[in-house]
Amino acid sequence: MSAVIDARNVSRVFTMPAGPVTAVADVSLTIEAGDHTAIRGPSGCGKSTLLHMLGCVDTASSGTLLFGGRDVATLSDRERSLLRLRQIGFVFQRFFLLPMLTARENIELPQAEASVSRAERRARTDELLDYVGLSARADHRPSELSGGEMQRVAIARALANRPRLLLADEPTGELDRATGDQIAELLDRVNADGTAIVIVTHDLALAERCRRVLTMRDGRVESEVTR
Amino acid sequence: MTLGALGFAWRSLRRQPARATLGILGVAAVGALLFDMLMLSNGLVLSMRDVLDRAGFDLRVTATDALPGQGPRLPRGVDTAQTLAALPAVRSAIALRFASATLDQSNGESLDASLQGIGGTGIRPWTLLTGRDVNGRGEALINESTARTLNLKPGSMLPLHPTCGGASALPVATVVVVGVATFPFDSLSSATIVTSMETLGQICGNVDVADADLIMVASSESAGSQTAAEAIRNAVPELQVLTNAQLVGRLERGGFSYFRQISTVLTTVTLAFAVLLITVLLTVSVNQRLGDIAALRALGFTRGRVVADVLSESGLIVGIGGALSIPLGLILALGLDGILKRIPGIPSDVHFFVFEGRALGLQVALLAGTALAAALYPVSIVARLPIAATLRNEVVG
Repeated sequence: MSAVIDARNVSRVFTMPAGPVTAVADVSLTIEAGDHTAIRGPSGCGKSTLLHMLGCVDTASSGTLLFGGRDVATLSDRERSLLRLRQIGFVFQRFFLLPMLTARENIELPQAEASVSRAERRARTDELLDYVGLSARADHRPSELSGGEMQRVAIARALANRPRLLLADEPTGELDRATGDQIAELLDRVNADGTAIVIVTHDLALAERCRRVLTMRDGRVESEVTR
Repeated sequence: MTLGALGFAWRSLRRQPARATLGILGVAAVGALLFDMLMLSNGLVLSMRDVLDRAGFDLRVTATDALPGQGPRLPRGVDTAQTLAALPAVRSAIALRFASATLDQSNGESLDASLQGIGGTGIRPWTLLTGRDVNGRGEALINESTARTLNLKPGSMLPLHPTCGGASALPVATVVVVGVATFPFDSLSSATIVTSMETLGQICGNVDVADADLIMVASSESAGSQTAAEAIRNAVPELQVLTNAQLVGRLERGGFSYFRQISTVLTTVTLAFAVLLITVLLTVSVNQRLGDIAALRALGFTRGRVVADVLSESGLIVGIGGALSIPLGLILALGLDGILKRIPGIPSDVHFFVFEGRALGLQVALLAGTALAAALYPVSIVARLPIAATLRNEVVG
């Protein structure tokens, strides 16, 4: 399998008034195509910061991060944006669906930004709405959807440009147990269909569905379990 | 549905209709004031030029550099007018002499009137409404305001108390009204009486009225004003010749410049208000959506795209408000013009606010600049937004 991401000894240090704070320290990690990885750990252990670096929205203070073999540090802001647009999907704890757009429009949005034709966008969006079971809610705005439905739309949006990697930051954090299980099942299906997934979560049940579980503490990977 | 920057901005505005309406109405009000200031800055000059041109005379000849009536008279003005009228480059020349008079009203009050003597032949600067032109001694033309106020018509006798060159203890003179006319420099309520130079001499106590305050000259169509002015200077070198453009230029550098200065100050203040208003609205809007914007950036939207979204939103607010500001400004200008024209002595054909393409072009350019300037701060917030930190803060917050 080819490496989607190869992080080598990456660290992230934040400069604070009280002094530098190391959020991620010397982490090495490889994500292969089709991987299903969870990152766990207590609050403030650096798991979200690591996820942000893997998703190229934050840059490592030291170390090297290769995405598809390219050193992310050498890319311009625009190139990193295009990399995220075409190769990485994000799912957020708070969904971040655009409130003025319908579910369909939210899913179409990254495709429009990637200059996908209107007809292709429509077909792909219909396919994704069907995939996440929300065809009947296509024309509803986020305010008219439940939390679980919003997260399903967010997952469909993240998959819109057929990314190689899906990053999810506490995707069940705002949902009740039953709805969280539905989202977990959906993410399992996404992974089974070939997309590599990295999930940051406090939810043990969600983490245990992944083939690989990394546990972080104080910015370092404390343990790694692969099933 | 369009998901481009403009479509996106339109959706953002529609999502917050109260905020969008506030912004658009604010820009419309400020834009209307701005448009009025731009019309005011040059309006009086344009209007005065138009009035001068419409009077049919394009050159004014005086004895000195002073404005007509404020300097020494032209010696033998009527004869000089006839000399000038004989020049090939001149179509017509008339001599004017100014005096004043008070007229008795039926309610016992007196009415101040401008009394003008005219000499020479050719075209006249007035438009006859009823009756006929002045031909013989003791005849006079009056303006509509005088006719209305004193209930006069052709054939009426008009007694007047003249004041000629400071001499006010003159006997009452009576003229026969032979016509009612509109005069180019009449104000809404001014009284104007025009008679021949001979009659004016009689009224003023049988004085010699050969001298004139002003000679108005119409150049021939083939010569034009510059050629005619040159011909007059060559023929009578001691006289001062002003074309309409030069006269307007003098007015522009003189009293009219105050309007331009006031307009510039008010335009600057107005634009500053517009920039502040839109900056505040956009900044509030952007700050409310930081999480959404960071998420869009995480999803792969470029910095340029999210900046374009904010610029489009600013452009839409200013564009819609600016479009509304034009009719609003025109209506406001009509009202303000009506108020200002009530100032005594302002010719009724003169307007303070004059629509011109230049003002409209400048309005569009200034509003476009306003949209850009107002978007600078919110754009800087969006452009420098740290994606990861914002996403983290949104979850922690």
